[in-house]
Amino acid sequence: MISPVRIVFEEDGKMFALRRYSEALEDFSGDLLKKRSVDLKPTEKLSLFPYGPSAGGLTESIYFSLLTSGERIEAMNYDTSFKDRKISVSGNDIPKAVLLMERINGIHSASYSSLFCDLIERSSGIEVSQEIMDLRILMMEMERISHHLFVAGRLSGGASQNIGSMNIYLLREELLRIIGKTFGHRYFFGINKPGGTGREIDVSNIYEKLESIVKEYTEIYRTLMDSRIFIDRTDSTAIIRDEISAGPVLRGFGKNMDGRSQHRYYNKLNVRISTVDSGDSLARYVVRSEEIFSSWEIIKKILERNSRFKIMEEVKMDKIQGTGEKISGYMETPSGDLSMIVSVRSGKISFFKYSSPSLWNLRVFADAMKGNNFADFYFGLESLGLCVSETGDIR
Amino acid sequence: MKAWFLRSLKKGIVTSSFPSGKNEALSPWATLPMRDMSGEVDCPVDAIQDDRVDSGKCISCGICFPQFKPSMQIPQINMVRVEKSLSKSMKLYLFDSGTCGACNLEIMALNSPQYDMNRLGLSFTNTPRQADAIMITGVLTEGMIAPLKAAIDSMASPKIVFAVGACAISGGLMGKSISEITGLDVQVPGCPPDPFVIVAAIEKARGRI
Repeated sequence: MISPVRIVFEEDGKMFALRRYSEALEDFSGDLLKKRSVDLKPTEKLSLFPYGPSAGGLTESIYFSLLTSGERIEAMNYDTSFKDRKISVSGNDIPKAVLLMERINGIHSASYSSLFCDLIERSSGIEVSQEIMDLRILMMEMERISHHLFVAGRLSGGASQNIGSMNIYLLREELLRIIGKTFGHRYFFGINKPGGTGREIDVSNIYEKLESIVKEYTEIYRTLMDSRIFIDRTDSTAIIRDEISAGPVLRGFGKNMDGRSQHRYYNKLNVRISTVDSGDSLARYVVRSEEIFSSWEIIKKILERNSRFKIMEEVKMDKIQGTGEKISGYMETPSGDLSMIVSVRSGKISFFKYSSPSLWNLRVFADAMKGNNFADFYFGLESLGLCVSETGDIR
Repeated sequence: MKAWFLRSLKKGIVTSSFPSGKNEALSPWATLPMRDMSGEVDCPVDAIQDDRVDSGKCISCGICFPQFKPSMQIPQINMVRVEKSLSKSMKLYLFDSGTCGACNLEIMALNSPQYDMNRLGLSFTNTPRQADAIMITGVLTEGMIAPLKAAIDSMASPKIVFAVGACAISGGLMGKSISEITGLDVQVPGCPPDPFVIVAAIEKARGRI
């Protein structure tokens, strides 16, 4: 199967595309994926149920419109535009652009800033050390565990497994405190810089604490998978089998694809990819849980060869003038593949485009909800690990 | 069920006694930076004036390091009034006006066992109609202006408007403050604020500390 196109843009009358898990731009001549539009007309038996943009149960502002008889969902639309922050990346100098990257999706800031810094470095011919790549991997894998724990907590809470949910949130908070103490910030803000790191990071005493969190989650995972209630609520709900989806959604219907397996950063780390065939909310939960364990395997390797990350002699920003050449790349965030194209000219960002995993997963989720029970909406939504902030209008 | 019960017993009490006791953790850059050595600093949000850091503007980016270092103290909470009538019980409504997601998750963290918001008489509610306080996060976005006004209007008095995080207070790095459309009773600084800072702000606003 050819990888789906993630970004398309036009320049000098020619179309270019960037595909999933690709660092190379290619000529594009196919048809563009049309904007999803479903006509929702209420009838005598079907009503429109609005949900959002601000309502209990939603982690971020988003609007859903469900055509339903009360039990079965016949069709669904969504609108992420309410909280568009209209962030302008182009025209900014590089230090400010890095700060913006961290805040496009704050809970995946390590993934966004790592990819952005990597592109800036490649555009300027800066070679970073293995140590810096290790630091970025460590942050991204801890970010992945944190995110997957949050999703697991939401799913188990929704299935009335409140004790399980609280146990998972407890572990996530323990992890965030370790991250905060070690990295200075619970969401890794202010660490990534092109060519280096903004702070000295001492990771010499986090191994046992992280091991304990993963061990405890293993017990919770087994207990949840023994729970008839949890399985009943998540099994066969929101089945997705669309190849344009991303991350755990893609791997949740058996696709053995993970951007980390072929990425330069993860070379020789033998990323274990977890897949489940059923494509439902339960499958996505299992994939995420297995990814917590595989992330820990990666973290162990990083911690075995690093105990302290020193402040690298930061690249002087005035040396990054850029040529205007477009550099593209990808990173596997906790929600799936993030693709990005950047160019730098006269020390400023002159071109910026990106494609977020939540954008694709939301689209396939909306199609997948047709025929589902109304009460299953929550499990389908939460199993996506959606981040509305990254679907916004970023220029 | 038995497994959960045994697990809870094994884990013991994990809940903080804060604010009567000490906060067990505090993310360093969620605290206000303070001058540590001389040297010029190019703050991206102009939060530093004459060695003083404006807590409502600071975005915890650490660009001021090493001239400035985290103070490791819970920052000053700016508030215009204290609502003692809500000291026994207060229902919170989370309103995302345009966040990166981090502030929302830090507020939701109050529900985790380490903070156990219920012990303080706090709970989340699903509608602003039942809320005593609205916790607004993120920059002011065009699409959320009408829902925000409607949410605040629908709340019964007495009500408290919290601006949580630098984006809501000052517009942060990328936008406008929510103060452009509503008065702010309490400002909770940070990017995002540490959950202990949020607890401290809530407790101060209710006159409990």
